Amino acid sequence: MSLNNLNPHTSLQSTILHISHAQCQKGGEPLFAPINLRLERGEMAVISGRNGSGKTTLLEAVAGLGSFCEGGMEFDHPDSPDSWLQHSHYVGHFLGNKASLTCLENLNFAATMNGSSSHENQLSAALDQVGLGGYEYHHAGDLSAGQKKRLALSRLLILNKTYWLLDEPFVNLDVAGCDWLFECISHHINNGGAALLTAHDNKRIHEKADHLIHLERP
Amino acid sequence: MGMKFWVLLQRDVLVAWRKKSNIYQPLVFQLLIVTMFPLGLGAGAQTLQKIAPAVVWILALISTLITLENIFKDDYEDGSLGLYVLSGLPLPVAVLAKAGAHWLTTGLPVILFAPVIAVLLHLPGYAYGVLMLSLLMATPIFSLLGTVGSALIMNLKNGGMLLSVLIMPLLAPVLIFGAGAVLETTLGNNPNGHLALLAGCFVLALTLAPLAAAAAIKVNLE
Repeated sequence: MSLNNLNPHTSLQSTILHISHAQCQKGGEPLFAPINLRLERGEMAVISGRNGSGKTTLLEAVAGLGSFCEGGMEFDHPDSPDSWLQHSHYVGHFLGNKASLTCLENLNFAATMNGSSSHENQLSAALDQVGLGGYEYHHAGDLSAGQKKRLALSRLLILNKTYWLLDEPFVNLDVAGCDWLFECISHHINNGGAALLTAHDNKRIHEKADHLIHLERP
Repeated sequence: MGMKFWVLLQRDVLVAWRKKSNIYQPLVFQLLIVTMFPLGLGAGAQTLQKIAPAVVWILALISTLITLENIFKDDYEDGSLGLYVLSGLPLPVAVLAKAGAHWLTTGLPVILFAPVIAVLLHLPGYAYGVLMLSLLMATPIFSLLGTVGSALIMNLKNGGMLLSVLIMPLLAPVLIFGAGAVLETTLGNNPNGHLALLAGCFVLALTLAPLAAAAAIKVNLE
């Protein structure tokens, strides 16, 4: 699985994600004590905390699928500050694959919805990279849990997004898959990308992280 | 924006096409119920003819109602909702695409199947045109209001009943004008008044339902 096909970042403008005094709630109760983060391009932040500490809720709020009850986030972009959605992509627990569509159809849908219309060859190449070569015309519902994860992660290779928001991306992947994903994220960071992710019990990723956010009870 | 709209609509039609039971289910349901009427009423063609406009219409309504729950629920559960909510496509436009796909895969088959149901109930031949026309205007209303209901209950486990309770009262005027138009035709009266009101309902649903459904999705994501 090579990495040479990763999207180059066309503009190297510096963009910064600011999260300040942010809190999320569930059932009217704040989940964690306020957190702060300043994430620049070329940096990786890892969110940790016990089960139920709000890691997913926080990530969804940052992605735009949720909201903060206190504080909030700002996206510093020299040209267009409202372009957070154009610069970020979220891969969560619910992967976003349609079970009755083939891998290629799923990936094509995600690409077109994100405005990066890709040629079928590029889509196949991305599937190849995540180890799903030969599965182009298999229905996503027939894949194993790890393969479904790989299919969702293949979106990152096609969509030219700077900020990757990943919720437990290593779960369900085999050893080779974990190695590949670690390389892939490192490569992305080194090329001016940024990542905000949750990862349980993954020493490598914790050592590589520029920012560690530990969610604690308020 | 247009491109994203079409891709979303296309995807939903394809998903429905792959799970064909979604398309058959309302039609088989209608056929099963309509065969019960002669058995239960024990009546001849004349009685059936009298109740035909109401029965055809109620069956079209209820068979559509049972399909509404999944418009957004499936997408919410598999996470693909995020793909279009975060895509930059305005949410009401995405809702329109969802409603359009639902109409193509549920409303359109119901319209095309209505003559079969009508024949079984001895609906007079001259009322078929108005029946089809009224359903053509009403089935998009079912899909549009369905997006609102489905968006409201998408994160509930057993929201189907709640959806029916929420949506039924809104669909009552549609039933009154739609079945009324067919009834007036069978009685030899002019159905235009009813049809005009039905068209009004359609325009209202087309303009307001996408906004309401988009607001419901946002509320449920918070």
